[in-house]
Amino acid sequence: MIKIEGKKFDWFGLTDIFKEHKGKLRQIRMLSVNELKKKYKGAALGPLWALIKPTFTLFILWFAFEIGLKRNGGVHFINGKYTQFVFMLTGYVPWFYISECIVGGSRSIRSNKQFVTKLSFPVSNIMTFTSLSGLYIHVLLCAIMYVVLLCLGFGPSIYNLQFIYYALMMYLFFLVLSWMTAPLSAFSKDFENLINSIITGLFWLSGIFWNTYDISPLWLRKLMYFNPINYFVNGYRKSFLTDTFIFDSNYTTETVVFYAEFIFMIFLGAHTYKKFRRILPDVL
Amino acid sequence: MENQATEPIIEFLDVKKEYFLYKNEKARFKAIFTKNRGVKKHPALKGVSFKIYPGESVGIIGKNGAGKSTILKMITGVSFPNSGTIIVRGKVAALLELTAGFSLDMTGMENIYLKGYLLGLNDDQIKEIEQDIIDFADLGEYIDQPVRTYSSGMKMRLGFAININIKPDILVVDEALSVGDADFQKKCRDKINDVIATGVTVLFVSHSRKAIEETCTRAIFLKDGKVQVDGTVEEAFDAYDKKK
Repeated sequence: MIKIEGKKFDWFGLTDIFKEHKGKLRQIRMLSVNELKKKYKGAALGPLWALIKPTFTLFILWFAFEIGLKRNGGVHFINGKYTQFVFMLTGYVPWFYISECIVGGSRSIRSNKQFVTKLSFPVSNIMTFTSLSGLYIHVLLCAIMYVVLLCLGFGPSIYNLQFIYYALMMYLFFLVLSWMTAPLSAFSKDFENLINSIITGLFWLSGIFWNTYDISPLWLRKLMYFNPINYFVNGYRKSFLTDTFIFDSNYTTETVVFYAEFIFMIFLGAHTYKKFRRILPDVL
Repeated sequence: MENQATEPIIEFLDVKKEYFLYKNEKARFKAIFTKNRGVKKHPALKGVSFKIYPGESVGIIGKNGAGKSTILKMITGVSFPNSGTIIVRGKVAALLELTAGFSLDMTGMENIYLKGYLLGLNDDQIKEIEQDIIDFADLGEYIDQPVRTYSSGMKMRLGFAININIKPDILVVDEALSVGDADFQKKCRDKINDVIATGVTVLFVSHSRKAIEETCTRAIFLKDGKVQVDGTVEEAFDAYDKKK
């Protein structure tokens, strides 16, 4: 039975989103695979392209930094000195997924318009399967990265398993973010453009090329804790390079700030989603 | 049981719907922050109430822009009202957007499952009707080909076959529906009549008096977002023809 009423309060819309996901696992899985097919259809190498592009970028980086610039200084990070290439590799791989999630997530509703305007579809599932389709590629890319790291003499170590935690949190965080960005972008194309134009800025503001833990002054270093991208990028390095525990006591502030932001985003995202859910079929 | 039988299957209680008309993209962007203040509105439904009981066949008539599509969209759960209550008790099959939700890169077979999920069925339920769908759509080898290789007629056929076979409680039919060639057209009409004969509730949208008289016992005439007449087909059409 469907019952549609005016307005009523329900946990900032979180209940709506949970209800929309109940029993929809198969549908979401099917649509996430479909998303991959859609993206790489017609290409002979198919989904392999999803791996070729980032791998090629990483190769260029290796070439530029190890061969071209011959920077032998490397980067100090937590407990040692790492070559620029290794440092970037571990930052770039999560970044590929993060940028994919931010851009793809904000576009997701608009590019799946037919589900909103022509069917009775649980719209929040769109964000779930879009981010999920990127996660498949990300896990594969991480496997490649891991092989490279093993060849270079890093790991294996029990801390490598922390990757699962970081990947999962990354998925959840950016999913929740897209609860807000996707409806807004669907409502106004300008918002989508806004997201697209800040993404390059985000790259340089986050610690993908440089170490956010050793900048001065201190207040700026603390400010960097508020950028969740750093939490993940540095988290990957903690798992694969430095063998630092997720909840290591040296990084408590960072963890607390991240979780506070995460919880805040859950409510903000759910609230925005609920606000826009009903008008989306009319404006798309 | 007595009580259940008298419970309406579709219920509209003072349903109002307004569409916002943004002057341009700038106004739309601004509206995110200003809560639509000062934006022009177009009232599509101005307080619509009606009840439809199980087994009824109801025709909906009215000129373009009278609110027919808005009502259908709400019954199918696509669109939402600004105020008022809508209750729909049962599974709705809408023969409106037959190909909506298809994934062009999946095979016809995979799309049966996808569309089935989208319509709220589970694996077992889909398995049960799978063969009926395949037989009805009659696509031969193509059922295992990606839908993007289909002609538009084939897509329609598959879409129709899925929608009509989900054993709906409520069937929404738009008369303007066109599904492939004349033969298939007839097959569809026969199938629709079969389903109607099983006693489902039917909502029939049409401009043709003859078509509605054939299937419906009751008609609702909409004008400017209001129910003008809710009565027999004759009453509704008399008013409709006069107002024209």
